[in-house]
Amino acid sequence: MGSSSSIRQSRGRAGMTALSIAVAAFTAITAAACSSSSSSTNATPGSSSSSSGSGAGGSQTIVFAESGLGTEGQQTQKAITAFEAANPNIKVTIQVLSSDSTQYLATLEHDFITGSSTPDVFESDVTYPAKFAQAGWVMPLTSFNVDSSQYFPHEVAAGTFNNTLYAMPWFDNPEGLYYRTDLIKTPPTSPAQVVSDAQAALKADKSLKEGLAFEAAKYEGAITSFLTVDSAFGGTLDPTSVNTPGNVAALGWLHDAIYKYHIAPTAVTGWQEGQVQSEFSSGYAAFSINYPFVEAQPAAAAVKGHIGYIPFPAGTGGTPGSALGGEMLAINAKSAHAQAAWKLIQYLCSAPVEVARAIATGDPPSLPSAYTQQLYSAAPYFQDVKTLNNYSAPRPVNPNYLQVSADLQTLFSAVYANSSSSAASQAFAAANSAIASDASKTPGA
Amino acid sequence: MAAEAKAAVPGGPADAGRPGRRGRSGRGGRPAPVGHARERSDRRLGYLLVAPVLILLLAVTAYPLVYNIWNSFHFDNLSYGNLPHKWVGVQNYTAMFKSSQWVSALERTVIFTVVTIVLDVVIALGLALMMHRKFRGRGFLRAAVLVPWAVPTVVSAMLWKTMFDPRSGFVDYFLAAFHPAWASLSWLGASVDRSWIAIFVADSWKNIPFVAIILLAGLQVIPNDVYEAARIDGANWWQSFRRVTLPMLRPALSVALIFRTLQALLVFDVIYIMTGGGPGNSTQTLSFLSFQTFITSTDFGEGGAMSLMLVVLALAVSFVYVRAFRPQT
Repeated sequence: MGSSSSIRQSRGRAGMTALSIAVAAFTAITAAACSSSSSSTNATPGSSSSSSGSGAGGSQTIVFAESGLGTEGQQTQKAITAFEAANPNIKVTIQVLSSDSTQYLATLEHDFITGSSTPDVFESDVTYPAKFAQAGWVMPLTSFNVDSSQYFPHEVAAGTFNNTLYAMPWFDNPEGLYYRTDLIKTPPTSPAQVVSDAQAALKADKSLKEGLAFEAAKYEGAITSFLTVDSAFGGTLDPTSVNTPGNVAALGWLHDAIYKYHIAPTAVTGWQEGQVQSEFSSGYAAFSINYPFVEAQPAAAAVKGHIGYIPFPAGTGGTPGSALGGEMLAINAKSAHAQAAWKLIQYLCSAPVEVARAIATGDPPSLPSAYTQQLYSAAPYFQDVKTLNNYSAPRPVNPNYLQVSADLQTLFSAVYANSSSSAASQAFAAANSAIASDASKTPGA
Repeated sequence: MAAEAKAAVPGGPADAGRPGRRGRSGRGGRPAPVGHARERSDRRLGYLLVAPVLILLLAVTAYPLVYNIWNSFHFDNLSYGNLPHKWVGVQNYTAMFKSSQWVSALERTVIFTVVTIVLDVVIALGLALMMHRKFRGRGFLRAAVLVPWAVPTVVSAMLWKTMFDPRSGFVDYFLAAFHPAWASLSWLGASVDRSWIAIFVADSWKNIPFVAIILLAGLQVIPNDVYEAARIDGANWWQSFRRVTLPMLRPALSVALIFRTLQALLVFDVIYIMTGGGPGNSTQTLSFLSFQTFITSTDFGEGGAMSLMLVVLALAVSFVYVRAFRPQT
């Protein structure tokens, strides 16, 4: 019994020792994590002693968050290297965020919510500035005396909230109507002609699988493809009142393309721009609604050299349609290096840099003056893109746009899954007040 | 049980080597300081041993939960950072209960849970019974059947999304052999029913192996003697299955049910990847709606209320299961 007791005591001591070590290790790890976390937090606000602050000789490091991968990422790196060479006192750290827009936005929001001063400069989708401005996360650009008249006005409008410019147009992606010039000899001049041309092409060329391909999956692209068509029917996407005859007619036309005219397959309900591009570039679609990047993609022999790109033709009472996509650049409201950040934006949004980017990546410049002979020689399709930029309509500039977008995606998705001919009118009527409420919501007031 | 029986006999073998008890009897019922100190020391050791895990659990589970509860009673929309984080009472809960979207999502979640659990358990039970039999290649099959479960849900959902693609997927290609019109069925986005079928297939494909392996483990601990006795008593296969297998499978079944029900109630990734909640909102579940409220609307107040309701729902279901499958004494 005595030995048993001593064994227990000895085990107890050993256990206590082991435990003490474990607790000490755990505490140390936790403390280290906390201290590391706090030191990194302290370093982040761009204090002068931090990596993002001013160093010896007045040099400063700014953080630039972007989503570019592949060619786009390489081109950004190239431009940044040139910028650093021209501005030896400014170092730029590129923070590559997710290429998934939801994840990208979430990461940025986390930084802003925690009051981080980095990233100093960030890439923003054209739909974000109003939300960021409303939340106070983005710096107004008024103090930099920006001459925004140099840029395409629709994208400037997307970066403006309450008459204040918050984001600079970086590149401008107008969505429009692609067609096969070998199958459709003259560009259509009305929505009805798109239908008849598509039907004729389907009859004439058996290798076609559909007359029209467009984005109808439940995602943001469903809104831009709708917006491309919308103005052709006299519609405008004002979230405070979406149930208008023009909007109903535009959505009804896209719906009928699937269920009445049978020029688009039901499969479009799962298609995003990638699948739409693939269908068109592979030679399966006579028409498609998509962004300029399609022209830079490899295409089947039958398609190569036979691509037309136009605004969606207007119907009665409408105007030719195009939806604005694109990216902007903005400055974090908490940035300690606003001047350096602005210098970087000015550089990236200058004509020579935009031209180089357009040639390398296909990202269309946001400056009309960048559409030069040099650009057209390298990529002639930019002539079409410039035309489209004159028509491109931005999505609603609204701080609650993401909620409005979710409502619209749900609405469109429900309509595309409903073969009833009155699906569009019923859906708009049913969702009108809810969308208006989400668009004008001022919570907490 | 044996240890309890021993301890119940004062001065019995269980008391051997227990200084505390010896001390007590030796001092006329007064606690001996040495034994008492040992008990305190043992207790302290116990507390210290669980302390790191407890701290970790408090940090990663209790703190977020309590903070979430706190948020759910406040206005906390991150898109309106300039507005005060003010107390709104039960307003977020009222808004949630009044929301037809939330009620519909709750209905869908419950239906999804019931259907998927029935599917999983029935198919997995068949699979487990099959794998329990002796046949050549049984070991390989048992290992192979776990592969879908080892695949991350996001990957398996992407995989099935591709398979259900009317252009490149194998599903329509396979179905075309039965009926030409099925060669180009659009599964996701074009039909509510087909979207749900695709989700069920993807979800079951991944989770049935998990349930099957748990049930197989349960089958393996049922003694053969019991089956032998049933056979001698004249029980046929079905009677033996109903009266022997199922009752003795209760513990394994309860584990599988609890795990799968909680997983199904919280289903998110397979729906996010495959349908994005569509067509319309027809495949939107509670977790998906909660995600949208948190991430899209950045409304941590109402999002907090929604996620708390999910926790309550999960706890209620766990409680019911634990009560229902309590060992019978």
